[in-house]
Amino acid sequence: MFVQIEEIAKEFGNQRALHPVSLSIPSGALIALLGPSGSGKTTLLRILAGLEFPTSGRVMFDALDATGLSVQDRRAGFVFQHYALFRHMTVFENVAYGLRARTRGERPAEAEIGRRVNRLLDLIQLPDIGARYPSQLSGGQRQRVALARALAIEPRMLLLDEPFGALDAKVRKELRQGLREIHDTTGLTTVFVTHDQEEALELADLVVVMSMGRIEQVGKPSDIRANPASDFVRAFTAA
Amino acid sequence: MRAGILRSPSPLPGFGLSFGIMMAALSVVVLLPIMALVGRGVMIGPAELWEMVGTRRIRAALALSFRAALVASLFNLVFGLVLAWVLVRYRFWGRRLIDAAIDLPFALPTAVAGIALTALYAPNGALGQMLTPLGIKVAYTEFGIWLALIFIGLPFVVRTVQPVIEEIDREVEEASATLGASRAYTLRRVILPMLAPALLTGFALALARSVGEYGSVIFIAGNLPFKTEIAPLLIVIRLEEYNYDAATAIGLAMLLISFAMLLVINIIQIWSRRRIGDV
Amino acid sequence: MSDVSFTPRAASVTTETALTRRIVIGVVMILIAVLLFAPLIAVFAEALRSGWAASLEGLASPDAQAAIRLTLIVAAIAVPLNAAFGIAAAWAITKFDFRGKALLITLIDLPFSVSPVVAGLALVMLFGTNSWLGAWLIAHDLKVVFAFPGIVLATMFVTFPFVARELIPVMMEQGRAEEEAALTLGASGWRTFFTVTLPNIRWALLYGVLLCNARAMGEFGAVAVISGKIRGETTTMPIMIEMLYNEYLSVAAFSLAAVLALLALLTLLLKSLLEWRYAGLLAATRRH
Repeated sequence: MFVQIEEIAKEFGNQRALHPVSLSIPSGALIALLGPSGSGKTTLLRILAGLEFPTSGRVMFDALDATGLSVQDRRAGFVFQHYALFRHMTVFENVAYGLRARTRGERPAEAEIGRRVNRLLDLIQLPDIGARYPSQLSGGQRQRVALARALAIEPRMLLLDEPFGALDAKVRKELRQGLREIHDTTGLTTVFVTHDQEEALELADLVVVMSMGRIEQVGKPSDIRANPASDFVRAFTAA
Repeated sequence: MRAGILRSPSPLPGFGLSFGIMMAALSVVVLLPIMALVGRGVMIGPAELWEMVGTRRIRAALALSFRAALVASLFNLVFGLVLAWVLVRYRFWGRRLIDAAIDLPFALPTAVAGIALTALYAPNGALGQMLTPLGIKVAYTEFGIWLALIFIGLPFVVRTVQPVIEEIDREVEEASATLGASRAYTLRRVILPMLAPALLTGFALALARSVGEYGSVIFIAGNLPFKTEIAPLLIVIRLEEYNYDAATAIGLAMLLISFAMLLVINIIQIWSRRRIGDV
Repeated sequence: MSDVSFTPRAASVTTETALTRRIVIGVVMILIAVLLFAPLIAVFAEALRSGWAASLEGLASPDAQAAIRLTLIVAAIAVPLNAAFGIAAAWAITKFDFRGKALLITLIDLPFSVSPVVAGLALVMLFGTNSWLGAWLIAHDLKVVFAFPGIVLATMFVTFPFVARELIPVMMEQGRAEEEAALTLGASGWRTFFTVTLPNIRWALLYGVLLCNARAMGEFGAVAVISGKIRGETTTMPIMIEMLYNEYLSVAAFSLAAVLALLALLTLLLKSLLEWRYAGLLAATRRH
């Protein structure tokens, strides 16, 4: 799905979190929103998900104006920074949640739900953990379960907020590769937020560098490395 | 003795003294009296006790105490949950006043609550006057007992659930919404199960308190044998007749109910800790 | 295509709709008014039914004066004793690791699940005339049942867990590092307690004492059983209220009740102040 962000601005009270920003996300791309904390990257991601609503501007999903679309109707698979797994449910129940929450007419039969959940657990390479509770999983496993849960609703796109932020360095490298593979298999338009320039430049097709509520530069990792558009981008991406 | 009780040595002083004071006070004030009551029961003998508890009047009183406590605690379970949610999540005029007032039943002496409720709901009372034409009698009926027990048990569920609601991570609710769940579905399937252990604990505490409640009930109840006579009142009546054996039998039955509820509270806490753990 | 205006959803996705909120708040307010505020107002309305003079006259009667005095004395003895017990229990439980700790905590909480009437009954069984301890006490001219010591014991029984319950979670959270530091600096045990531990727990202690005192002054069931209700001698304020009420001396009964209700309001006020100002220094969960 092609995502078009048109002159989106967001204010919290008097605080300006986003100046009007515009961005086109090509269908099937893997995009990184890169910036320090307070740059507006998470706000932009949450606006895409329908968790926040912009003060002005609009969001287009292909030809559909999605600006006022509720979070439930938006069908954006969202992976939270701390995963937000339901800890009173097993892994299986977590992944099945979005399917079971559908209205009766759209809800798949229980056998079909089972098939889909198991297929997703295979995809994240954790086929045998369906009966466990989140508290019995490692950090990396939790992240992958959160990913499977977001994919279960057949999302229009995949949104990830600092997906590797809570993990140690070794696991982070492995899971980076995992996300790339899942993106390539599903072909979903994927946007992830990070403050780690190395992660953004290595993993994404397209990197959006943000600072203080504005987009500083949009480009392929190689472009950003070779031709930083501002001093900020040069300083932030040099490491 | 110290070496035997302590699991690991501590550099801090005062174990012997503090432990001694604690055990002495606990024994004199709580344990010895309860042991004396149990001892009296042993002397009477289980068969005799059983027979006394089996008399119609005592059975009716115990059943009434338990039934009324159950009704009131169920009401408080639902109302307490709503109240806790409103106090934590909503911002409105008067919120702090209500939050402070929740503890009124803890602070107001039960006898005061009892005569106040009776004055309100008696047929000539401020609220009783309005209800009588509708054919609703509250004072001197079982409804009156329910009302008194609702008053006395109101704070328990609110105060056990409130801190748990405060700690709910908003991300979890957002996650549910991004997965397509309606608000009602989120409340039912995500929030309610998270609150369940605290709800049950609050419910059990309210139930334990209301089963044994005396002061707030006796004024409004009417105290008719077989109809509105609660078990603690029957103990008092038997004591005034110097019938210590019958009083002991009722007392032990109530003690047994208390212990059972204490056990349930502990099991709930262990179960929820094991199942949910920390994420 | 240019400026598309739409109504921004002010409410976040993690709350109910405005209409639902309004209805729920309305229902809550009505129920609170009927269940909590109405009885409170009724106490004062009934007390002042025949005017201030009649109300004050009721309070000035010798029986009422004796009841007020007895209630104050009982609280003045039972509350400090329970505070001392609470501090000792919290110290032993939080600073040391010993066998049977979980059982002990359950036993301390026991009075909360025992009917006050059963508590009174148990005390009668221990100290009454037909137990060997009671017989021995009477032989030595010490009366517990139907006398002042029994009232104090009954009051202590029902208020037993209040202070300990408030202190244990707070002291658990604070750990023992500060006390250990004081000891390495050469402070004695008592000095460590008074200069390090006590300042850390003073607000939680005050909170526990406040709740303990409110319950102590208002206890009815346990005291009703053990006091024998000897007019002017073993009648505390709640017992006196019952007697006056049963004698149809409504104004006098409610006047005494109003005094206790004022005390309850004062307790709530102080409690709320403590919670707002010292929230961090009180137990993490405000349970009772």
